[in-house]
Amino acid sequence: MSSEKQNTSKPTPPPDWKAEVDKQWQRISQLGSDFYFEHKELFSLKKVSAVLGSALAFAWLVSGTYIVDQGNRGVVTRFGAYKETTQPGLNWHLPLPLESVKVINVEQQRFIEVGYRDASRFAKTANIPQESLMLTSDENIINVRLAVQYQINNAKDYLFNVKDSEATLKQLTESVERGVIGRSNMDFVLTEGRSEIVAEIKREIQTAMDDYKAGITVASVNLQDAQPPEEVQGSFEDAIRAREDKQRLINEAEAYSNEIIPKARGAAARLLQEAEGYTTAKVAKAKGETERFEQLLVEYEKNPAITRKRLYIEAKERLYSGANKIMLESERNAPQFYMPLAAPASQANSGVKTQAEALRPFEANADDKTNSGKTATAHELRPSRSKP
Amino acid sequence: MNTKTTLILPAGLALCLLAYLSVFYVNQQEKAILFQLGKMVSTDFTPGLHFKLPVVNNVSTFDGRVLTLDTKSERFLTSEKKNVIVDSFAKWRIGDVGLFYTTVGGDEYQANLRLDQIMKDAMRGEFGLRTIKQLISEDRSELRHTLLEKLSPVAAKFGIELIDIRVKRVDLPPEVSSSVYQRMRAERDRVAREFRSQGSENAELISAEADKQKQVLLANAQRDAENIRGRGDAESADIYAKSYGKNPEFYAFYRSLQAYQTSFEKTQDTLVLKPDSEFFKYYNSEK
Repeated sequence: MSSEKQNTSKPTPPPDWKAEVDKQWQRISQLGSDFYFEHKELFSLKKVSAVLGSALAFAWLVSGTYIVDQGNRGVVTRFGAYKETTQPGLNWHLPLPLESVKVINVEQQRFIEVGYRDASRFAKTANIPQESLMLTSDENIINVRLAVQYQINNAKDYLFNVKDSEATLKQLTESVERGVIGRSNMDFVLTEGRSEIVAEIKREIQTAMDDYKAGITVASVNLQDAQPPEEVQGSFEDAIRAREDKQRLINEAEAYSNEIIPKARGAAARLLQEAEGYTTAKVAKAKGETERFEQLLVEYEKNPAITRKRLYIEAKERLYSGANKIMLESERNAPQFYMPLAAPASQANSGVKTQAEALRPFEANADDKTNSGKTATAHELRPSRSKP
Repeated sequence: MNTKTTLILPAGLALCLLAYLSVFYVNQQEKAILFQLGKMVSTDFTPGLHFKLPVVNNVSTFDGRVLTLDTKSERFLTSEKKNVIVDSFAKWRIGDVGLFYTTVGGDEYQANLRLDQIMKDAMRGEFGLRTIKQLISEDRSELRHTLLEKLSPVAAKFGIELIDIRVKRVDLPPEVSSSVYQRMRAERDRVAREFRSQGSENAELISAEADKQKQVLLANAQRDAENIRGRGDAESADIYAKSYGKNPEFYAFYRSLQAYQTSFEKTQDTLVLKPDSEFFKYYNSEK
């Protein structure tokens, strides 16, 4: 809708505007010429050139102002020669053909990468084997990546002393890095030597840069990576695993040791306690028995014959009451029962029972009543048993 | 008035041109040579504004900063006839600008070419005197000083002041690198095996020691236990002896009775008796 409106209104304005501009211009120039003819005395050549000249001179002078941002320094040269270094803020130098200024950032942390390029945050870090692979003192090859952070500490030196300071710093870093690592052996570089090496590299770079008067301070050298080259990574990892294996084996052995020694101590303590127990028991038993004996002895000695008889009979009584007995009144039938007796005497109670069961069918056939009744008389050869 | 201005204006312009032609300035980082009709007149200029005759004199300026010669990788032979790939660089600046102009035409590129040639030559010589080990570790700074000492006078002939010569890269060629890698792998394998066997060695030691301790502990305990038992036996024997010694005959009788009793205690023991013992004295007759 709006475009339609524009389309309809467009054809009319252009001729209008042109006429309008012409009209206005004529009006202004008319005004100007009126003013000029009315105040003609003001526009003498002298006056005009004076005004123009002073305006130009003023503009020229003002063109010498410049602003130095925080963290920057302005280096002012007069006819090319160094004049001064100015601080942040509003400054002024003699205008252009005479003096000029270059503003240098002296607080920005800049860095260079040696051995790799962090191309962008999307691309993977690219390794540069030419820069990163180097020999150690034990003639091994390792892969080292360094980043050097630096800042400009003297704007004047930075500008005037060295052409392409950054390339110089990079070359120096490569040289110094290889020198320092070439003096160390591989294990040192890969393990405990890192910080020492970094400090050494930093010191040497700084010394050389100071020799060149490059106006650069090395803020830090960072060892991004120090690794064996890819070709031998597998073996290195295996060596690391082997170190862990060693520790594991030792730990396992220690665990075993920690397990069996306390157990053995326990067993030893048990042995001793058992022995102590045995001794105490033995002594106590001896004491008990002897005390009993001695007390009896006292009574025995009062009347030895009677006591002796009594003891003998009591003992026999207890003995006979507790055991199976077979009484042989005559000598004749002795040989007839020795054979079957051998088994029950040597066997336990259960043995007797099974024999009794084995006999049962034979007994059942003979007589039911005798089976349930007195077993002692059922068979002539069965031993008599005293039941409680 | 009009004629005056028409005169002044060109005159002023001419004056300005003249002034422009008769001054020149030398930048802080530059060195300059003043020529007079092609002949070198002066080379000694401090930075800043200087005067010259217009047309007759002209001026060339050269970069006076520290410049770099970065050589291409080059193969050198070491004293043990091994090939190494070497990268190096030199830092130099114009020392005598007049000489620099006449010998190398004041051209940085030309100067670098010359420097490169003399450097290569000198380095070939120095590398031939040293072993790889010296080159990569021990002799680096010494090599630097020697080269600098040797080459400074040569470079000075080109008006060049040598500031530094450094070796960047001393590497083995790729075909040798692969055997270095093989050696490194073998070395690591050795280390790995050593670690593992050390591990089992230590483990064996520890467990054997533990086993030994266990045996010792048990044996000692057994010894002590036997000792204690022996003490118990002795003590009880002593007690018995003292006590029973008071009436050995009665003891024998008493103890025998006890022994009969305990030996025939179990009910399944069967005694076959003949009634003619002391016990059955009254069993057969009443008297």
